[in-house]
Amino acid sequence: MRSEFQYRRPASIDEAVAMKADLGTTAMYWAGGTDMVLHWMRSIHSPELCIDITRIEGLRGIEIDRDSIRIGAMTSLDELDRSADRHCLLNTLSDITKLMCTPQTRTIATVGGNLCNASPAADLSPAFVAMNADAVLAGPKGRRRVRMEEFFLGVNKTSLSGGELLEEIRIPLNPDLKVVASYRRIDRTVVDIALVNASSCISVDSDGVINGCGIALGAVAPVILRVSDAETLLLGLSVRELGRDREELQKVEELSAIAAKPISDVRASAEYRRQMVKVMVRRTLQDCAIQLKA
Amino acid sequence: MVNLHVNSRNVDLDIKPHRTLADVLRTEMGLIGVRVSCSEGECGSCTVLVDGRPCTSCLMLVNQGEGKSIVTIEGIGTPDDLDPVQEAFIEEQGFQCAFCTPGFILTAKAFLAENPNPTHDEVSVAMSGNICRCGAYPYIVRSVMRAAAKLREFA
Ligand SMILES: Cc1cc2nc3c(=O)[nH]c(=O)nc-3n(C[C@H](O)[C@H](O)[C@H](O)COP(=O)(O)OP(=O)(O)OC[C@H]3O[C@@H](n4cnc5c(N)ncnc54)[C@H](O)[C@@H]3O)c2cc1C
Repeated sequence: MRSEFQYRRPASIDEAVAMKADLGTTAMYWAGGTDMVLHWMRSIHSPELCIDITRIEGLRGIEIDRDSIRIGAMTSLDELDRSADRHCLLNTLSDITKLMCTPQTRTIATVGGNLCNASPAADLSPAFVAMNADAVLAGPKGRRRVRMEEFFLGVNKTSLSGGELLEEIRIPLNPDLKVVASYRRIDRTVVDIALVNASSCISVDSDGVINGCGIALGAVAPVILRVSDAETLLLGLSVRELGRDREELQKVEELSAIAAKPISDVRASAEYRRQMVKVMVRRTLQDCAIQLKA
Repeated sequence: MVNLHVNSRNVDLDIKPHRTLADVLRTEMGLIGVRVSCSEGECGSCTVLVDGRPCTSCLMLVNQGEGKSIVTIEGIGTPDDLDPVQEAFIEEQGFQCAFCTPGFILTAKAFLAENPNPTHDEVSVAMSGNICRCGAYPYIVRSVMRAAAKLREFA
C-alpha cells in the first residue's frame, strides 16, 4: 500500500531545510515528482511528509556570468531546453534534455531531481561531471560545495545529508578559454535509459591548445565515473589532433574502458558495454573537435 | 483543503494531499476526459495544460496544481462549439478507439501555440510523448497539420 502523507510547500530554502532536518527520513523533498511518484506508488519510498520545493524562489532559473553558469535545482528540463542559445554548454545540455522523458514530463521534471535521484544512467549527470561542475548544497548549518563526481555515492545515493537540499549546479567558466561539450548514449528505444553513456568537455586557448578536459562515463558503475588519467593525456594537444587517429586517443579509449565497471543485465552484457565505452568516448571527443572548428 | 482553477472554474476540494492531480480531476471533478493509462508518465493520455504547458497529470500531486490554470479536454470546446484542433481530428479521423485522443489534442494545442507553421517531422517529435495503441499516427499527424492550417486562418 502506498503511504498517506502530509503536504507542505515551504517558501524559502531555510524553511525547507529546517522541516527536513526536523523530521529526517520520514520527510522527503518533492520536486517534479517524475521519479518520486513512481517510488511512492511502488512503496520504495513511503514518506509521511512531502516537502514540495518547486515553488521556492531562488531555486529556479539559469544565470550566466563571467566565471560560471548557475542552474537552479528546480529548473525544469523544459526550461533547460529553452536556454540553448544562451551559451554553448547550455546548448549541449539542451540537446540532452531532448533525449529525456517525454515533452509533457519535461515540463515538470527538474534538473535537481535528475541528479538527486542518482541513477547511474541519468542523462544529465555525466555532462555535469565532465563540465567540472559543483553541486551547491544548502543545509541547516549553511552551504557547502561538492564536486559533481563526489556528489554521487551509489545507486540512488548522494552525499546529501542531515536535511540538506541541492540548491544549484555551478559550471565554472574561464573567460580566456573556449569551451565545448558533447554527450552520447546508447539506448534501445527512445523512452529507455542508457545502456552506456559518456560526456566530454574540452577547453582550448586562443592557439587551439587543449587546456582543460573532462571525460565522464555513465551506466557502467554504481556512480558516474570520471576518467582523470585519460583527461591528462589530452592536455597540451592541439584540438586538430582530436579528430585524427592519434595514439593518445586510443590510449584515452583504453583507459576509459579499464575504468568502466559494467554489469551484465537484460539490457546488455558487460563486455558489450565496455566495448561501447570506447566508441562513446571517441565520438564525444570528435563532436567537441567539430564544435571547436565551427 | 485544496483550491484548483480548472477550465476557468475555481473549486475548493476537501481531500487528502496524497493524491495525484489526474486522480482528483477524474474522481472528484468528473473530468473523465483526463485518461489514465500507464500511470507512469510514458503514455501521455493524462496530459492536461498547466499554465499553458502540457503536463502528465498522473505524475503531479494534486497540491502541485494549486494556484495554476489547469485546462482539460472538457475546457477547450463543447460538442456545439468545438476547438479547431478537435475539428481537425474529426475531419482527418485522427483516432480509432479515441482513448488517447484528449491527450493528443491538448499536446497539439500547446505545441501549435508556439509553432503555428510546423513541418510533418516537427509534429511527430512534438507528439512523441503520446502513445496511440491503435497506431493511428499517420492520421494524427495529418490532423495536427490540418489544425495548424485552421488556426493560421483564424489568426
Ligand atoms: C516517462 C519517464 C521517462 C524518463 N526518462 C528519463 C530519461 O530519459 N533520462 C533520465 O535521466 N531520466 C528519465 N526519467 C527520470 C526522471 O524524469 C528524471 O530523473 C527527472 O529529472 C527527475 O526530476 P524530478 O524533478 O521529477 O524529481 P523528483 O521525482 O521530484 O525527485 C527525485 C529524487 O530527488 C530528490 N530531490 C529532488 N530535488 C531535490 C533537491 N533539490 N534537493 C535534494 N533532494 C532532491 C527527491 O527527494 C527524490 O528522491 C524519466 C521518468 C519518466 C517518468
